[in-house]
Amino acid sequence: MFRKWLILAGLLMAISLVVIGCETVDTSALENEISERDAKIAELEAMVMDLEATGDMPAEMAGSRLQTVQDRGKLICASRNDVPGYGFLDDAGNNVGFDIDLCRAVAAAVLGDANAFEIRLITAAERGPTIQSGEVDLLVRTVTWTTSRDAQWGNYTQTMFYDGQGFMVQKDLGISSSLELKDATVCVTQGTTTELNLQDFSNQNDLNINALTFEDTDAVVAAYQSQQCDAFTNDRSQLAAISSAFEDRDAHVILPETISEEPLGPVVPHGDEQWFDIVKTVMAILIYSEAYSVTSDAVPTESTGDTKVDRLFGLEGSFGQETLGLSQTVAQDVIGSVGNYGEIYDRNLGPGGINLPREGGRNALWADAACSDCPKGGQIYSAPLR
Amino acid sequence: MIMIEALRGLTYYKGVPLWRHALVIQWALQIISGVIVVVLVTTFFTNITNTIQDREIPHGFSFLSREYQTPIGQHFLPYESSDSFLYAFGVAATNTIIVSVVGVILATALGIVVGVARISGNWLVSRTSLIYIEIFRNIPLLVQLFFWFYVVLALPPVRQGYVIADRIYINNAGLSLPWPSPSNWDAAWVWLAVALASIIAAMVLYHALTRRETLTGRASYPLVTGSVIAVAIAVAGWLFVSAAFGDAPFAISDPAPQGTFGRIAGGFTISGGLMALLAGLVIYTSSFIAEIVRAGIQSVGRGQTEAARSLGLAPMAALRHVTFPQALRVIIPPLISQCLNLTKNSSLAGAIGYSDLANVAKTMTQTAPAVSIYVLLAAAYLAMSLTYSLIGNIYNRSIRLVGN
Repeated sequence: MFRKWLILAGLLMAISLVVIGCETVDTSALENEISERDAKIAELEAMVMDLEATGDMPAEMAGSRLQTVQDRGKLICASRNDVPGYGFLDDAGNNVGFDIDLCRAVAAAVLGDANAFEIRLITAAERGPTIQSGEVDLLVRTVTWTTSRDAQWGNYTQTMFYDGQGFMVQKDLGISSSLELKDATVCVTQGTTTELNLQDFSNQNDLNINALTFEDTDAVVAAYQSQQCDAFTNDRSQLAAISSAFEDRDAHVILPETISEEPLGPVVPHGDEQWFDIVKTVMAILIYSEAYSVTSDAVPTESTGDTKVDRLFGLEGSFGQETLGLSQTVAQDVIGSVGNYGEIYDRNLGPGGINLPREGGRNALWADAACSDCPKGGQIYSAPLR
Repeated sequence: MIMIEALRGLTYYKGVPLWRHALVIQWALQIISGVIVVVLVTTFFTNITNTIQDREIPHGFSFLSREYQTPIGQHFLPYESSDSFLYAFGVAATNTIIVSVVGVILATALGIVVGVARISGNWLVSRTSLIYIEIFRNIPLLVQLFFWFYVVLALPPVRQGYVIADRIYINNAGLSLPWPSPSNWDAAWVWLAVALASIIAAMVLYHALTRRETLTGRASYPLVTGSVIAVAIAVAGWLFVSAAFGDAPFAISDPAPQGTFGRIAGGFTISGGLMALLAGLVIYTSSFIAEIVRAGIQSVGRGQTEAARSLGLAPMAALRHVTFPQALRVIIPPLISQCLNLTKNSSLAGAIGYSDLANVAKTMTQTAPAVSIYVLLAAAYLAMSLTYSLIGNIYNRSIRLVGN
């Protein structure tokens, strides 16, 4: 008896499935489209009513990345923990670095809390798919800006560090130039511009370089240290950073040639211009508060009399906060918790970190030039805050 | 009353109600599973296409004919950076095929040895084998690969490496051996064709002689005759080709250090990454194969072994001629899955610096659409696995019980 009922139930299920299946097949694309549009119209109507009721700005449209982040209560950044200065575990086990601080700055701006962030650790080769899929809000993992990445991966926001590719070799090889790397085996991390530039450099100079490619920077370093390869290529700042952790730092030398341009900075997923603008603005806040000499220990909370400083810290006028959906005093949150560009640099890449020189180099502020036209300042510059 | 009769007529077929009719139930089940599959596949596919459109993720395959312009660490086929993406993909696929073919052969051989040792009467041998199996099958493959990677790294660097007889080099960049390299490609191809023909001829001869021996009982020496004929044809072919082309088809190329860095050029180099990868894959997979072999042998009735022994066969001969052939029927299907696993597991190579298919494909996503690359990658592994399955299944069919 039970068996009979079971079979009957099975048959019923089959029939209903067939019916459902037929419906899926039969429903014309047109009908679908109409219902989608109806839904969208209803959604927009609801939004208009909402706006009329509360007077909110369109910046807080449902489904925007900003809204998603604020609802979630934390910012998700894709980054790393294997290179000192950029993203590295300190003695207390915290992930600290330049890239991590940029993530914290954005978290402070949109959530008011610099610690409301989560780091997804990814390999270099995973950067493209990760940001393309939109599963993270921000990609800050020493990403070089290139035109094809800008087209394929996501929107590149702002150059926060100017780097260039170089080579590191063991001193006892007696090599003084990258052009002497004829027939050498060079270790490189997979999925980096470095890997691509290496081939160009080898072809241009007829060096017949053999590349040894690893997924993880740790494996690259291990292979280089045990001399499985003759040289290690990466961005120069990363070479300096990584070798700073070597026990025999003095036995290695970074060769003088810089073979490429590597502008590094945060990337946001395609398809949300508001989010793109927010991240650019946060970077501008970091840069301009250094230009205005405002540090984290002296964030103004009442008018200072200097119009530009007052505007930056939301004490007078505006630089577009409300259109972006940011609070009027966003800069107070950002600078108060993370510090300005110079502080972030000094803490991670400068004297407090891996000690890369900044003064007079490309990563100094453009604003440090003596006059607006003379090219003495560095290249760190962003859209003016107005 | 008539209504009910009509309904009965509709719902009953040959006196059996439809919902209990074997034919109906079978068809219904087929239709249900068919519908489920169609619905799932449609959902997944629509989801993928929608995501690609919504996020404006680049796709398409036009990049395949573009120049790849990126280095590939080790390659068995000739490769230059000006070659196309498609060719580079083929170069990388060849790297994977080589790992998988060599790996499968070594893992099977090692697995059979360990599996037989596992049921050996010798306490020490069987315990050693047990320990081997339990260690290697219970540690994740990636961990083992890193272990072998560091073992290889612990070898001396290339400039201080070991040199044997001035022509074999062992260092952490790899193992370099003298290797025949074609001095004249035309001659080489002709001779390879002759060599292949000689092997086929020898095999035909071997079968014919074995048959004669079985039928007539006269000693016909199939193995000796076959090998002699094969070698004779190959040697004759070599002399003939050398004379015809004025050049020997192959010459031995000796590896030698070259340039400022003393990197080994010439000969044949099994790179450090490949050594570590093969060691990891072979040892890991062989521990599973050993268990399959043990289970297979133990599945053969004890009476078979006893009968073989009572006929006067030595233990190894009893294993080889009586037990093992019967065990093969149980061993082959799971063995095929292990070979597939080995092939797929070789995609971990990127971690230890061997340029296998997955490693190169990941690099390709930098300059080509990731979606398309992963589709190609999946298709390539699928094609490889299906080929293995096909070969394995054909073999499996050839050894099954006839008339069963």
